[in-house]
Amino acid sequence: MFDVIIIGAGICGASVARFLSQYKLKIAVLEKGSDVCVGTSRSNSATVHSGHDALPGTQKARFNVLGNAMYDQLCQELSVPFKRNGTVIFATNEKDMHSVCDLKKQADINGVPGAEVLSREQLLHLEPGFGARVLGGLFAPTGGIVCPYTLVIHSCYSAVQNGVEFHRNTAVAAVKKDGGAWSVLTDKGRFRCNYIFNCAGVNADIFNNMVSEQHFHITPRKGEHLVLDKSLAPFAKATICQTPTDLPGGGHTKGMGLMPSMDGTLILGCPAYDSIYPEDTATMRGGVDEILNYFRTFWDCFPISSKIPVFPEPKIISSFCGVRAHPDTDDFIVGEAEDAPGFFNAAGIESPGLTAGPAIGKHLAELASDKYGFIRRTDYNPFFYKTKPFREMTEAERQEAFIKDPDYGRLVCRCEQVTLAEIKAAIHAPIGAEDINAVKMRTRAGMGRCQGGFCSPEILRILSKELQRDPLSITQCGGCSKVLLGKVGIC
Amino acid sequence: MRNSSVENLQNVDLVIIGGGCAGMSAAISAHKNGIRDILILERSSYLGGVLKQCIHNGFGIHRFGQDLTGSEYAKRYTDEIDRLGISFLTDTFVLSLTQDHDITAISPAGGILRIRAKAVILAMGCRERPRGALTIPGTRPAGIFSAGTAQRYLNLEGYIVGKKIVILGSGDIGLIMAREFAIEGSEVLAVAEIMPYSSGLIRNIVQCLEDFHIPLYYNTTVTRIEGTERVTGVWLSQVDASRKPVPGTERFVACDTLVLSVGLIPENELCSEAGIELSSDTGGAVVDDSFQTSVPGVFACGNALHVHDLVDFVSMESEVAGERAAQFIRGKSDTASVVRAEPGFGVMALVPQRVRLTGAEDRIKFQFRPRQRFENAEIRITSDGCRISSVKKRVLTPGEMCELSLERSSIHSDLKVEVIGL
Repeated sequence: MFDVIIIGAGICGASVARFLSQYKLKIAVLEKGSDVCVGTSRSNSATVHSGHDALPGTQKARFNVLGNAMYDQLCQELSVPFKRNGTVIFATNEKDMHSVCDLKKQADINGVPGAEVLSREQLLHLEPGFGARVLGGLFAPTGGIVCPYTLVIHSCYSAVQNGVEFHRNTAVAAVKKDGGAWSVLTDKGRFRCNYIFNCAGVNADIFNNMVSEQHFHITPRKGEHLVLDKSLAPFAKATICQTPTDLPGGGHTKGMGLMPSMDGTLILGCPAYDSIYPEDTATMRGGVDEILNYFRTFWDCFPISSKIPVFPEPKIISSFCGVRAHPDTDDFIVGEAEDAPGFFNAAGIESPGLTAGPAIGKHLAELASDKYGFIRRTDYNPFFYKTKPFREMTEAERQEAFIKDPDYGRLVCRCEQVTLAEIKAAIHAPIGAEDINAVKMRTRAGMGRCQGGFCSPEILRILSKELQRDPLSITQCGGCSKVLLGKVGIC
Repeated sequence: MRNSSVENLQNVDLVIIGGGCAGMSAAISAHKNGIRDILILERSSYLGGVLKQCIHNGFGIHRFGQDLTGSEYAKRYTDEIDRLGISFLTDTFVLSLTQDHDITAISPAGGILRIRAKAVILAMGCRERPRGALTIPGTRPAGIFSAGTAQRYLNLEGYIVGKKIVILGSGDIGLIMAREFAIEGSEVLAVAEIMPYSSGLIRNIVQCLEDFHIPLYYNTTVTRIEGTERVTGVWLSQVDASRKPVPGTERFVACDTLVLSVGLIPENELCSEAGIELSSDTGGAVVDDSFQTSVPGVFACGNALHVHDLVDFVSMESEVAGERAAQFIRGKSDTASVVRAEPGFGVMALVPQRVRLTGAEDRIKFQFRPRQRFENAEIRITSDGCRISSVKKRVLTPGEMCELSLERSSIHSDLKVEVIGL
């Protein structure tokens, strides 16, 4: 019997788990994926939005601004790469300049600190190199970038440190009231608990609609992105987008833009499309072409063009697609279901969900505690400490790390400079990596320009050795995603 | 004994980064040219690079007049390295290289190593173009391999990567792998090539595909990948002259594996810190006819310089680079004036890009790839609009590197190399 079951280990589930772990509660997180952070929270533009584009008065606006303000402390506590690089929304015509001014008004109402409308000259002062077509734009200094999967994974690690259980590969089939308690039926058996936190992303509507008459519907909305090699990182500073007006993407997007990532790569995106399948993260030719066509046309607007004059298509190393949970209410659904006491929703958390997630987690934990009188623990530890990655160490730090552990001297992933020591640490972490993608998400091994061409056989071998499993059983991303299909000579 | 500090700076005459075919050939050649203080730094656990996983034959015909497997070819060089007593460090990853030839490396045996070299040879080889670079739409399941990765699993580790395989790209590694998959009992359903011709050697198309009844579809590409956990199939579409998929030509091929053989990219990430000029045309360093880069005393050869068709040519080129590096170390390098060689119409990946007007050898060898297939064409070198050399060819294809040489004495100003269809 648990006090709390959390469904889903994305940014919301992880944040709820971590904030609830401050109380004396027996908590389990159920995640149907083979790892934590395998859905929406992994595949997005990694942007910490300032909050200028959410409609005033909405939950989106509220939690966006609250969440944004939490990021400095949160990322410090959890050893997560985060930077306030600032966001610029530029305009290329008078009509778009009006939208920029409207965004500024909206930013003020939402309580976004420091947002201002800049003239072309002011923009150039901020970042030289904006193209001749750019008339001006909105500058939001609180806009930032974060490594989203590191944030979620470390939030989960922090929760584990404070006593939370994580059950991966555990899919919830049904939720129902069973006597005074909740019964959560899964493919791994039944869990009973007093409180449920529904953080199931694109599937959150299913669970809500099982227990509450206040139905809502979630539409999976796909967002496509391209990734450019990190050799371009020195040429991009702020997150820069064009005003969404008159752009393709059906108005579902915050606009097309170029977003530096904490890993040094540049993310381009993103057009958005509704989908019918919640797990459909397949990229589409149309979406990819839309990004390519946009940047072929508008590259000269971006400051990077002063150093790299032509859109460098050969520098594309990857493309990916994320699915966001778009609710028919068009706003985040955060709180206890009115007709199902003890059932809390963090549902419809589409963009800016990554930014808002920590604030939603904190709010729900406080809401439940206030109502149900949870007791605080005295030994809660908010810190998760992670050694600096090898690639960021100085020469002296590298030597010091090597003396403590010679596995720091063995480079496994050459593109991202990931050592054997770091891969072993990822495998033996509190929620250890059990497949190739899980190693990648924890270390960046395989995420660089060769995309695992050189290191994936080695990572497979390390996983097999450390987990004491047959290499044939090692998967790319859990389930039936086996990498190898047989031994030579034994088909 | 592990170093407790990284203060000790080791001085070495010649450091070679990469212990594959290029690095070993350069080392042996430098040794023959009188250099004894040589150190090869190799990031994997053995010398020989990718040759070790090439168990097929066809190596050594030009270099040794013998038909060897890749591993046999490598052994000739590793034996010679041993015989000459040339030093090498394996499991040693070079972290940085500076303009002053200072190298920082790390290994599990020694931690951080700092080396100052009189001369450096860049022989890091190349990597395969990954799926991401192609932005093929669809899912991202297990079962997508670059050809070299599949080759490593099969030949070095002894594992089958797939039972029903589609290969995208008809580069040499893809063709070789098609045959190996077939021999190991996997079914190769199709090789799709987006171009109207293969970038692989003709002999490989015959020996690896035709002999095994594996279909090769030109003007065809993969337009979507299906499968959530493991690949369940791919969509093949025909493409038009501008290489855009033709609507209505899509067909689904059920398979469990997609192997990509879609190009090789020279590995030159070390060059930026040292300020070595790179060519966007070859992906390698810009070099002169002695294979010296824009940084004096730093030389480049093999697939790190430009992607070769045959390892024999890598060896032969690297031997020259090793000899020139030896001359540099002995202080015999000349400060000749230099002119540029530019690729003109129909020419890509031209090497060298600079030519010294004076030098020990009388003839300068140029290598390049034609941008497209040409029949009855003329390769022409012009200077100031005047033709100074030309040669007629019946067939030129991007899959086979072209070579032509020129008297150094005939060069006085910048050159242009072009292909003219006749």
